Amino acid sequence: MDIQLSHVHKSFSDTAVINDVSFTVAAGEICCLLGPSGSGKTTLIRLMIGALPADSGTIQFGDTDMPNMAILKRLGFMPQNDALYEDLSAQGNLAFFGGLYHLPKRTREARIAEVLDTVELTGHKRKLVKNFSGGMKKRLSLAIAILHEPDILFLDEPTAGIDPVLRRKIWAQFQALKAQGTTIIVSTHVMDEVVECDKGALLYNGKLIEYDRVDRLLDKTASGRIEDLFFAASESEARP
Amino acid sequence: MIQLAKRVIRQTINDKRSVMLILVAPLLILTLVYFLLGDSDYVATVAIDPDAVPAPVINALEQQELQLVDITADEADQALDYLQQHEDVDAVLRFLENSGMDITLYEPSTKGATAIGEIQEAMADINPSAEAEISYVYGTQDQTLFDSLGYVFLALFSFFFVFIISAMALVRERSRVTLERLMMTPIRRAEVIAGYTLGYSVFAVVQAIIIVLYAVFVLQLSNEGNIGWVLLTMVLLAVTAVSFGATISIFASSELQVVQLIPFTIIPQVFFSGLIPLDLIPYHLGNLSYIMPIYYGAAAIKGVMVYGDGFTDIWGYLAGLTIYALVLYIINTQALKKFRKL
Repeated sequence: MDIQLSHVHKSFSDTAVINDVSFTVAAGEICCLLGPSGSGKTTLIRLMIGALPADSGTIQFGDTDMPNMAILKRLGFMPQNDALYEDLSAQGNLAFFGGLYHLPKRTREARIAEVLDTVELTGHKRKLVKNFSGGMKKRLSLAIAILHEPDILFLDEPTAGIDPVLRRKIWAQFQALKAQGTTIIVSTHVMDEVVECDKGALLYNGKLIEYDRVDRLLDKTASGRIEDLFFAASESEARP
Repeated sequence: MIQLAKRVIRQTINDKRSVMLILVAPLLILTLVYFLLGDSDYVATVAIDPDAVPAPVINALEQQELQLVDITADEADQALDYLQQHEDVDAVLRFLENSGMDITLYEPSTKGATAIGEIQEAMADINPSAEAEISYVYGTQDQTLFDSLGYVFLALFSFFFVFIISAMALVRERSRVTLERLMMTPIRRAEVIAGYTLGYSVFAVVQAIIIVLYAVFVLQLSNEGNIGWVLLTMVLLAVTAVSFGATISIFASSELQVVQLIPFTIIPQVFFSGLIPLDLIPYHLGNLSYIMPIYYGAAAIKGVMVYGDGFTDIWGYLAGLTIYALVLYIINTQALKKFRKL
């Protein structure tokens, strides 16, 4: 199922935070929303999943407008801050979300064990989340997002504050999910991560300055560094 | 909805402070109220000049629960100075030739009122024709303030502690973005509020049973009616408190802000709960009680415990609470549109 954004606009108190953004993510792709802090990545994700209404423009999953209950069932979401219930154990958090997604009881336990293994938290499943480290919380948050085997996965800064070794593991998990056919929209401000994606949407001050295949985006720069595209956008904006 | 209710229960059980707040704090405060408003067995001290007080009066005073202290004529004449120097004495009683009995007190207080009450009883003993026989339709002259007002505290506690826990929990859900994550699952808005209400209702039922049994059987709070109706009212009040907490959480972005809203939302309800007779409040302000959920709960509990009312007498109050809870439920469901339209 493709995700299509067409002329999406969103303002907060007369300040445009998303300004006429249009692009299409094809099914089974990893699309990276790349941009500095405050560029509108999180707002765009919230618009796409239906947590925020757009002022104008359309966002469609296939032929369906969001928010839609049927689409929500097929969607996984990992927010920027972990959004976990700290007074519950890792297993308790997963069981709760598993119940909300109506995972059958007979397979739920097995699936929880599987995702705990994926994020390497099996040995900590009975610990209360309030005793988890930042990295463990990130991994549990990811486990919740993939628990119901969603077709589309939205990940908001999943590797922020994560050490390089764990970051590599997390990206390996994303690639494995992609191989299973999951569409992944991932936001990041770490420019190096763009090479892990099929497509990159470069956001700067709420505007989409580039959207293309990652190899083509890199070809557009003289140095092969994606930052150059942001420098160019910054200079062009500063020009009278 | 059931999943959410189960989670609320598990989460609350894992948070020992919340369990203490719901189940232990009401008992602790109710016990304090019992000692503060109950029979204190206080014996007032009254100073008299035995040479200036007629012997029959002294005899009558000695029959009362009073401690009499002898003072000199000079000390009696300087009663104000004497009381300032002897704080353990509550009153100075004098008999003046022209104006009769004169009582000087240190300050208006319950201790002073006890002294006056005992002196008046002594006077009535001397002159039985002046004694008034007081009868009540409900209650007795001997009952304590705790017996008269205990029902208000049952209503207050069942509302306040559940309100605090639920409002804080929902604010935390918002601030930690778990509510947004929850709304990205295929759960309906109405189910979110219903799940919360159901989860906290379990604690409300346990809390109501513990408080009522403790008040009636341990603290001996007088009860004329069926405890079952008191329990039903308290549970309904606690369910309303969950919805009230959820509504208040809309206007707060942190736990601190919930606390800041308490003077505007809870404290006025305490005054309109029946603690002060509503028809004594000037400018018809007593009518404000109709917009306060604690009033309906306190009125129903008073009906059962003080007047021995049954369902047919209190159903109006229960209906008021139910309507209140339903209106808040709809408001809360609509408020979740901020997170998801459908």
